[in-house]
Amino acid sequence: MEAVSFEEVRKVYPDGTYALKGVSFSVEQGEIHGLLGENGAGKTTLMRILYGEIKPTGGRIKVFGREARFSGPWDAIKAGIGMVYQKFSLVEGFTVMENIVLSSTRIGMDERAVRKRLDYLIEATGLKVPLDQEVSNLPVGMRQRVEILKALVREAKVLILDEPTSVLTPLEVRDLFKVLRRLRDDGLTIIFITHKLKEVREITDRVTVLRRGRVVGTHRTEEVSDVELARMMVGREVLFQLSRKKVSPGRPVLKVKDLWVEGDDGVWAVKGASLTVREGEIVGIAGVQGNGQKELVEAIVGIRKAQRGQVIIGGEELTGRATREVYDRGLAYIPDLRPVGLVMEMNLVENVVLTRIKEFSSGPVIEWGRAREEADKIVKSFNVLVDSLNTPVGRLSGGNQQKFMLGREISRNPSLVIASEPTHGLDVAATEYVRKKILELRDSGKAILLVSTDLDEVFQLSDRIAVMYEGKIIAEGPSESFSLERIGLLMGGVRA
Amino acid sequence: MLREYLQFVLEVIGSVLAGFSVAALIMSLMGFDPLKGLYLITLGGLSDPDYLLSRSSLIMMTGLAFSVPALASAFNIGGEGQMYVGGLVALAVSLYSPNPLLPLASGALAGGLVGLVIGALRAYREVNEVITAIMMNWTFYYLSIYLITTYLYNPLAPYRSVSVPEGSRLSTIDLSGVKLHVSFLVSIALALVAYFLVYHTKLGYEIRVSGLSRRSAVYAGINPRRTFTLSMALGGVFGGFSGALNVIGFTYYMDQLLTSMYGMGFDGIGVALMGRNNPIGIILSSIFFSMLLLGGQRMQVSMNVPKELTDALSGVIIISLAMPYAYRMLISYLRVRKVGRGAE
Repeated sequence: MEAVSFEEVRKVYPDGTYALKGVSFSVEQGEIHGLLGENGAGKTTLMRILYGEIKPTGGRIKVFGREARFSGPWDAIKAGIGMVYQKFSLVEGFTVMENIVLSSTRIGMDERAVRKRLDYLIEATGLKVPLDQEVSNLPVGMRQRVEILKALVREAKVLILDEPTSVLTPLEVRDLFKVLRRLRDDGLTIIFITHKLKEVREITDRVTVLRRGRVVGTHRTEEVSDVELARMMVGREVLFQLSRKKVSPGRPVLKVKDLWVEGDDGVWAVKGASLTVREGEIVGIAGVQGNGQKELVEAIVGIRKAQRGQVIIGGEELTGRATREVYDRGLAYIPDLRPVGLVMEMNLVENVVLTRIKEFSSGPVIEWGRAREEADKIVKSFNVLVDSLNTPVGRLSGGNQQKFMLGREISRNPSLVIASEPTHGLDVAATEYVRKKILELRDSGKAILLVSTDLDEVFQLSDRIAVMYEGKIIAEGPSESFSLERIGLLMGGVRA
Repeated sequence: MLREYLQFVLEVIGSVLAGFSVAALIMSLMGFDPLKGLYLITLGGLSDPDYLLSRSSLIMMTGLAFSVPALASAFNIGGEGQMYVGGLVALAVSLYSPNPLLPLASGALAGGLVGLVIGALRAYREVNEVITAIMMNWTFYYLSIYLITTYLYNPLAPYRSVSVPEGSRLSTIDLSGVKLHVSFLVSIALALVAYFLVYHTKLGYEIRVSGLSRRSAVYAGINPRRTFTLSMALGGVFGGFSGALNVIGFTYYMDQLLTSMYGMGFDGIGVALMGRNNPIGIILSSIFFSMLLLGGQRMQVSMNVPKELTDALSGVIIISLAMPYAYRMLISYLRVRKVGRGAE
C-alpha cells in the first residue's frame, strides 16, 4: 500500500526560484525510503510541503490514498505525519516528559495518557530516554530520540527525518539505525533525507534521487550501485580524488600551547589543547561539532579570551591580542558561517573591506576605488558568478559567497589560514573548487589549519590530523596513520 | 541594482498615493474639500520659503540625530533632550563669546556628551537606551525651563531668556535678491559631512557593519560596543547642533516652555525614516516634512480646518512614506538584537 504519493508537485518561491519542478514518486507503507540529493535539490522543500509547513504551487499529495490539503503542520500531524528536523524543536529547560506532553496536548492527551503510551513505546521500540531529565542535560543523540518519541506519541504513521545523522557520532548513528529498522518492522513508514551515499546503502529499502527539483529516479537500494547513485545525484562522475603534491613542511607558523578556553556557558570548552601548524602543511581538526573546535579557533583569532596557555604566530606571542592585530600578523580566518564572514546586506565592494580595512583606507577615509578594483579582481580570479559588484552579497548563491569570502582572505596573502567548515552547505562543484584552492595554498607554502566535521574533507586535504573530543586533542598524527574506523571511534570518545 | 531603484521609486509612489488617498478620505468625511486641502498641505508651505528652509534645517539635524545611531542599530529617541541641551549650552556660551562658532560647537558637543552617556550605558551596562533617552528628555526639559526662568531669564520679557548677543548670531545672506539663512546652508553642509562620515570613513563603515551584523563586526575585529557608543555620541552631536542652531540662527533666545523647539527631536525620527536613514535622503525629507507642517498651517487659516486635523493629515502622509522602511528597519533591529545576545 502506498503511504505517501507525490503527483507532479511543484513549488515556485515568491522570488522566482523554482524549488520543485514537478515531482512524482510514492513511498510504500513500512519501508525506509531514502531521499537523496545535493544541497538545493529540493529535498527539504518537498518534505516541508508534506508536513504542511509550506504550500505547493501545484500538484497533489496523497497520504494513505486520501488527498492531503494541509493548512499547517497540525493538519499533517492529524493525518499521521511526523517530522524530525535537523535542528531540534525542544524546550531546553523542560524535562523530556514535559516536552512530549507539550506537543501532545493539542491532540487531547493528558500527562497520564502520555506516560502510559510512552512506557509502551519505549518498551516496544527500544528508544530508551530518561523521561524526567531536563533536555538541556541530554546529549544530541538522546534529544533526537525524544523527537522521534514525540512523533510516535502523536501516532505518526509516516516519519520524516531530515539529515538525522549530521549531528551524531558514529556510535549514535549505529543506535539510530537499529531503532529505525525496528520501527520499520513494526509497520512505520520512514522517509530519510540525506546526502550521504553510505547511509542510503545502509538503512534504506528504496531510494529516490532528486536533482534540481526533479526526480531522477526511484530504485530498490540493492539494485543500484553507489557509483550509479552518485551519478544520478550530481549528473556527472564525482571527482572524489584530489591530486596532492608532496610538499615537505617548513618552519612552524602557528603554535598553540596548552590552551584553556571557556565556552559561552562558562564551562571549559577547550581543555589544554596544543598543536603546531607549519609552512606548506594542512592540519585538519576532526571531531563532532561542539567538542571545542569553535572555541579553540576563536581563541586563536582573538575573538574569544583564552584563560590559560599561549598562541604563537610567526614566532610572536599573540595570546589575548585584539583580532585586528592578529590579522595584521598574517592570519586569515574563514569562519564556518557565511553570515559571519560576510555582511549579507552589503555589496561585494563593501565586503572586501570587512577584514582588510587598513589596506583600503588612508587615514580615516576608505578608498572605495581601490576596494572596487580588488573586488573585481577577486570575482574574476575566483570565478564568482555575480552580475554586478553592487549586488548585496546575500543575493549570491552559497557557493559564490564562499568563493568570494575565500578569495578575499587569500588575496590578503596571509602566512596562516584558518578555515572552518570551508565547504559546508556547498554543492559538489563548489566543494571541489574550494578544496582545490586550499590545496593550492598549501602548495604555495602557507600554513593551514582546517576545522571540519566532514571526514572526507579532512582526509582529502590534511597532511596531519588532530581529533578533538570534549575539548581535548585526543589523537594527532600524519593522516596516513588514521583509518576511517579509527577516527570514527576517536570522534566518539573511544581511544584507539 | 536597477531593480532596487525601481522598487524604491514604486515604493515611494505607492506610499504617496496611499497617504494622499487616506488624507483625502478623511477630509471628505469631515466635510472639507479634499483637493483644495491636498493642494494646500503639500504646496501651501512654499509661500514662505524662508520659514520653510529654517524649519527644515532644524529637523534635518534631529533627523541625523536619529539616523546615525540607527545605522548602528541603536534607537536614539533622545534627540529631543539632546536638542534642549544643545540650545541651552549654546545660549549660555554665546553670552561670553563674540562669534557664533563657539556656541554652536559647544552646543553640539554638549548634545554629543548626552548621547555618549546614553550609548555607553547601553553598550557597557546593558541599560536600554530607549528608556535612558526618554528619561533624559524629560530631565533636560525641566532643567532647561528651570535655568531659563532663573539664571537666564530676561528681565524685560520674563517669559523668555536673555537674548543671544548680536555678534554671536547667524543671520541671512543675500543671493542676488533671494534671502537665505546661513543656518540652512550650514545644515546642508553638515548633512553632507554626515554622508561622507557614514559612507566614506572607517568609523562610518564600522558603524554600519555593527548595525547590520554584530557577529560579522566581531569577526572583523570591530568592537561593537565602541561603535554603538560612538554612533550615539554622533547622534547626540547632531541633536545638540539642532538646538544650538535654533538659538543662534533663528530665535536668538529660548522661551519659558521651549515652544520653539518642543517636538522637533521627535519630528526628526519621522524625517529620518522618510529619508531612509540616508543623509542625502534626510535633506530632502526634512524639506518635505516642513512643507507639510507649513501647509497644514496654511490650511488652518484658509480652510478653517482645526490644527488637530491638519496634524493628523501630515501624520498620515509621513507614516505612509516612512512605513516600508520603518518596517524593514524594525525587523533587522530585532534580528541584530537577537544575534547580538548570542555573540556576547
